[in-house]
Amino acid sequence: MALTHEEVRAIAHLARLQLTDEEVERFAGQLSDVLDYAARLNEVDTSEISPTASVLPMNAPLRPDEVRPCPPRDQLLANAPDPAGGMFRVPRVLELEP
Amino acid sequence: MPEYEAVIGLETHIQLNTKSKIFCACSTDSWRAPPNTHICPICTGLPGVLPSLNRRVVEKALIMAAAMNVGEIAPESYLARKNYFYPDLPKGYQISQYDEPLAGNGSFEFPMPDGNLRRISIIKLHIEEDAGKTVYKNSKRLIDFNRCGVPLVEMVTGPDFRSAEEVGQFLIRLRQLLRWLEISDADMERGQLRCDANVSIRERGQQRLNTKTEIKNVNSIANVRDAVQSEIQRQVREVEAGRKIESWTLGWDDDRGALSKMRSKETEADYRYFREPDLLPIQTSSEDWAATVSQLPELPLARRSRFSADYGIPDYDAGVLTEERSLSEFFEAAVAAHGGDPKRVSNWVMNDVLRLIREQDTSAGELGLRPDELAEIIRLVERGTISNSVGKELLTQVQGSDRTPSQIVEEDGLAQVTDFGELSAAAAQILEANPDQVAAYRGGKSGLIGWFVGQMMQESGGQADPKSARKILEQLLEG
Ligand SMILES: [Zn+2]
Repeated sequence: MALTHEEVRAIAHLARLQLTDEEVERFAGQLSDVLDYAARLNEVDTSEISPTASVLPMNAPLRPDEVRPCPPRDQLLANAPDPAGGMFRVPRVLELEP
Repeated sequence: MPEYEAVIGLETHIQLNTKSKIFCACSTDSWRAPPNTHICPICTGLPGVLPSLNRRVVEKALIMAAAMNVGEIAPESYLARKNYFYPDLPKGYQISQYDEPLAGNGSFEFPMPDGNLRRISIIKLHIEEDAGKTVYKNSKRLIDFNRCGVPLVEMVTGPDFRSAEEVGQFLIRLRQLLRWLEISDADMERGQLRCDANVSIRERGQQRLNTKTEIKNVNSIANVRDAVQSEIQRQVREVEAGRKIESWTLGWDDDRGALSKMRSKETEADYRYFREPDLLPIQTSSEDWAATVSQLPELPLARRSRFSADYGIPDYDAGVLTEERSLSEFFEAAVAAHGGDPKRVSNWVMNDVLRLIREQDTSAGELGLRPDELAEIIRLVERGTISNSVGKELLTQVQGSDRTPSQIVEEDGLAQVTDFGELSAAAAQILEANPDQVAAYRGGKSGLIGWFVGQMMQESGGQADPKSARKILEQLLEG
C-alpha cells in the first residue's frame, strides 16, 4: 500500500506539519511500511467475528450530573503562553478573521 | 419563468440543560460568568486527563429521541473524535458521534398557522461537546473555555422543508417541545438552540437535489426565516440569469440583516473521524428505552387535540393553552376543580391568568395562584356573589395569600351589593346630584343609562351588581 507524495502532503497539512521534499520522500516510504504491516491483519478471516471496540467490559460507566468547584483560573492560565484578562490569547488562524 | 421550489434541510444544535458539563464536573451555567471560571484540566484538554460521560446527558438525549418518534434506539452507540484545529477547541478534536449515533430515523410533526400538520423526517440525533468562544478585542484573539464541554444534541433533518415559513414554524415548535420536556432552555439568543440551514432550489416537480448553500450563525427564529427566504430568492435570481449556484457557506450579519459569503467550501473538510478510545460505547438496553418512551409526557400537539376534543373548546383556545406545559396543566386542573363549562375556564385562563403571567414575567407553575383558587373565583362570579371586575382583582389578591378567595370576599367585604334598598338609595343620590343628565334622559337620550350605571359602579367601588343597578335606575328615571 504505497502512499503517494500528494497523500503525504495532505496528511501533513491536516496535522499542520511543514515537510521538506526529502521528508516527504522518507515519510512516504515509512508510512507505507506501517500500513503494510497493519494490513497483515487483513489475512485473518474475521467474517464470523463482530467488531471489537474495546477489550474492557462494554458497559460505559456513567457519572452523576453533579457540579464540583473548578480549580482557580490562575492555575489553569499558568501554562498559557500569552494570557490576557483571564483569557487565553491566541495567534490569528484564518485569513478572513477580523 | 418556471416555477421553483425550495429544498431545505436543517442541522440543529440543542444545548441540554444539565448542571454539569458532558465529560467533567464543571458547571454549565456560564451565562455572564467571568471568562474561564468554569473550566478544569478535562475541558481544557490538558494531557493525561480522561473524560467521564454525564448520565443525564444520555438520559435527556434519549428523551429527545423518544419525542422525535424514533422507533428503535441503537443498543450500542459510539463516541468519535472529530479532528480539526481551531483555537476554541483545546484538544484538537471534538468528542462527537459519527457512524453509530445514538438515534436515527425519527420524525417531528408540527402545526402550521393554517391548521395543517407538517411532518419532517429526522435523519440522525447524536450527543457531542460544545467548543469554547473566541472574543476579538483590540485586534487580540482571546479564548473563553466556559462553554467548552457543555453538552449538545445535534439533530439533522431530512431535506423536507419547502419554505422559509416552514423552517420558522419548525423552530418555534421545537423550542416549545424542548422546554416542555425540560431538556433545554432553548434560548436562541444565548446559543442554547442553534440552527444551520442547507438551501437549494429546483424546478417544481423535479426530484433531484441541486447544489446547496449552507447558512450559519443565525441567532433568532425570525432571522433564520429571513435568511432562508433571501437565499431562496437569490438562488432563483442566479438561475434565471443563467448562472450556476456555488456551494458557498453564508453567514448572517445581524447589523446589516443580510447574508454574506464566509469561506468557499471547495474541499470538504477532512475530519478523520475515529472511535474515541477514552470512552466505552453507550449501551441502551431495550428496557431503558421502553421506560423512556413510556415516561414521555403527553406532547403539545397531542394535548392540543385532546383539549379541543375532550373539553369542547375551540382549536385556537387549545393551541394557546398548550403553548407551555405548566399552563396546560394549570388549565386542566382548573377545569377539574370548577366542574362546569370548560370554555368559561378557558376564557379566564387565556385572558386573565395569561395577562398576569406576562405582566409578572413568570409561568403558570410559579404564579402563586392555584388552579382550584381560580375555579373558586369563577364560581363566585357565576353565582353573582362578586362582580366580574372584583373577580379579576381577586386573582392578584389570592396570589401568595394564605386566605381562600371566599375568605377574602367575606373578610374584606367584596361581595356584590344586590340589596334592593341599598342600591335604590345610591341611585336616588346619583339622580339628585345630576339633574342635567336626568333631564336629558327624560328628554329622549335613553343612551345615557350606561353613564348612570357607570356612576353607580364608581360610587360602589365596583361592588354594585350592574344588572340590578340598571333595573333600579331605569325604574327611577322612567318614574
Ligand atoms: Zn471541566
